Amino acid sequence: MELLQMTRPSSFSLISTKKIIQMNNVYTSYDSKNYALKGISISIDRGTNYAIVGQSGSGKSTLLKLMNGMMIPSKGTIKIDYQTPNMKNKQFKLMMHKIGYIPQSLGLIKNITVLENILIGALPRLGKIQSLLKMFPEEEVIEAKKILKQVGLEGKENRKAYMLSGGEKRRVAIARAFMQKPTILLADEIVSELDHITAREIMALIASAQKTMNLTAIMVHHDIQLALEYANRVAVIKDGEKILEIGVEGDKIVDFQTGNLTTEEIMEMYSNESKK
Amino acid sequence: MNPKNNIIVGIIIALLFVTSYNIGANPIEFVKGLPNLAIVAEEMTQVEPKLFGTAFLSMFETIQMAFIGTIVGVAISLPLSMFAARNLNSKYVYAPVRAILAAIRTFPSILWAILFVIMVGLGPFAGVLAIIMYTIGFVAKLQYEVIETIDSDPMDAVSSIGVSKWQLIRYVVLPESAPHLLSQMLYMFDYNVRQTSILGLVGAGGIGFYIINYIKFFEYGKAAVFMLVVLVTVLIIDWASVKIRDKYIIKSQHGMKISVK
Ligand SMILES: Nc1ncnc2c1ncn2[C@@H]1O[C@H](COP(=O)(O)OP(=O)(O)OP(=O)(O)O)[C@@H](O)[C@H]1O
Ligand SMILES: [Mg+2]
Repeated sequence: MELLQMTRPSSFSLISTKKIIQMNNVYTSYDSKNYALKGISISIDRGTNYAIVGQSGSGKSTLLKLMNGMMIPSKGTIKIDYQTPNMKNKQFKLMMHKIGYIPQSLGLIKNITVLENILIGALPRLGKIQSLLKMFPEEEVIEAKKILKQVGLEGKENRKAYMLSGGEKRRVAIARAFMQKPTILLADEIVSELDHITAREIMALIASAQKTMNLTAIMVHHDIQLALEYANRVAVIKDGEKILEIGVEGDKIVDFQTGNLTTEEIMEMYSNESKK
Repeated sequence: MNPKNNIIVGIIIALLFVTSYNIGANPIEFVKGLPNLAIVAEEMTQVEPKLFGTAFLSMFETIQMAFIGTIVGVAISLPLSMFAARNLNSKYVYAPVRAILAAIRTFPSILWAILFVIMVGLGPFAGVLAIIMYTIGFVAKLQYEVIETIDSDPMDAVSSIGVSKWQLIRYVVLPESAPHLLSQMLYMFDYNVRQTSILGLVGAGGIGFYIINYIKFFEYGKAAVFMLVVLVTVLIIDWASVKIRDKYIIKSQHGMKISVK
């Protein structure tokens, strides 16, 4: 118990500037009948890696879509760096330039090359004429090639996106997001379908980018083991509700939601939930 | 077949009889007319080789008309289709544009040709204008339908970067719909060659002028020369479009080579 107290973030450090994302009692729905998310409260520190896990249909993707303004809460509040995510909010629209979003289906453009897909991340920095004529400034192309190398796609820049393997496509989507010079990265199950080694390679890539860019990453995962390995915090979503918020400290799994559960209790609860 | 389907088939057959009676369609007349066809067919075998030169020249004119009509028509319909797509515009933009396109489509090309002959006089230019109008009406419709079925995932992913609508069009809508556009261009060119062949009927240029006139004066042998040239040309265009589609369209959509027997 003592140890748990110690390892939880101390209340002194909860200065609000540290918080980049704050959701307070958020509800949202696709239709008027059911809520896809119910009473979600989340607060995420700048620079951390935050993971979201849960069964299929629990609302993970919906949660990400709330964070970049693609969906709007029907109740509750969300603040991203003090701005309310909403396409109609001019301030937020500027912030979107620096929010990298990788949807579950990646959203690559099939018929253009890898390099062109990556350069899309630079579009907010381009003028009207430049973007109309696809005239990317030299330094943007250099930057894109640097990122291409960083994500391990060297030599594939002129491949059409549809000619890539699943893992390579994910790397392109990551590179496109990096090209935005993001402060926030929202990634929806980008490693779920990959083999063990490739998944870890990609997670390591994001971890190192987090260090160099002071990036806050919010990632949806399938595998709680992998989530605990890389994330500072893991939120477990079930039927639209956050039932657990946990993290690893030393060799213990810590309950950040209520602060009461022990590692054993958490694991038991989680395995019970996933059996249902 | 369930009883409900039987009723529907019954109704369709009944309607067929009623409508045939109304328009005076009579199979017996058709059979009686067959010998006439034989006479025409026989006369058609008396082709006049001298005329092949003229036929090729007028076919060449027809192809040029169809070419200009297709290219200019597609170029105009592209921006129109962007304004007519529901997933890119508000109702106040797409509704009027769609109404205009629908109005354009109500006229067959031959009516446009008459209109333009009145406007710019007899000759191929009137025909070209007619082809352009017809192409706009159809390609714009086909194209906005394609745009509306573009996968929403890349659209969402790119618009979530906060790009402008023009950037979205340039970087997602155009590349995602380009294979369809090429396919529509080929289809339209093929179609336009055929329909330009009849615009001569109203004096709007092309090979149809000769065909119509020789038929009017019962010179089927001469008309046959021109029809033969049209047939060969259409076959060649057909063959060429299959080749182009395989190379650029099918491959770009599935990432594989499809060999055609
Ligand atoms: N576009 C939509 N229209 C209507 N309902 C939707 C839509 N997208 C998701 N839903 C519903 O909202 C709920 C949450 O969906 P969501 O996509 O967030 O789940 P998820 O946790 O990401 O699942 P998965 O692991 O399968 O991706 C589900 O019940 C789903 O059926
Ligand atoms: Mg999902």
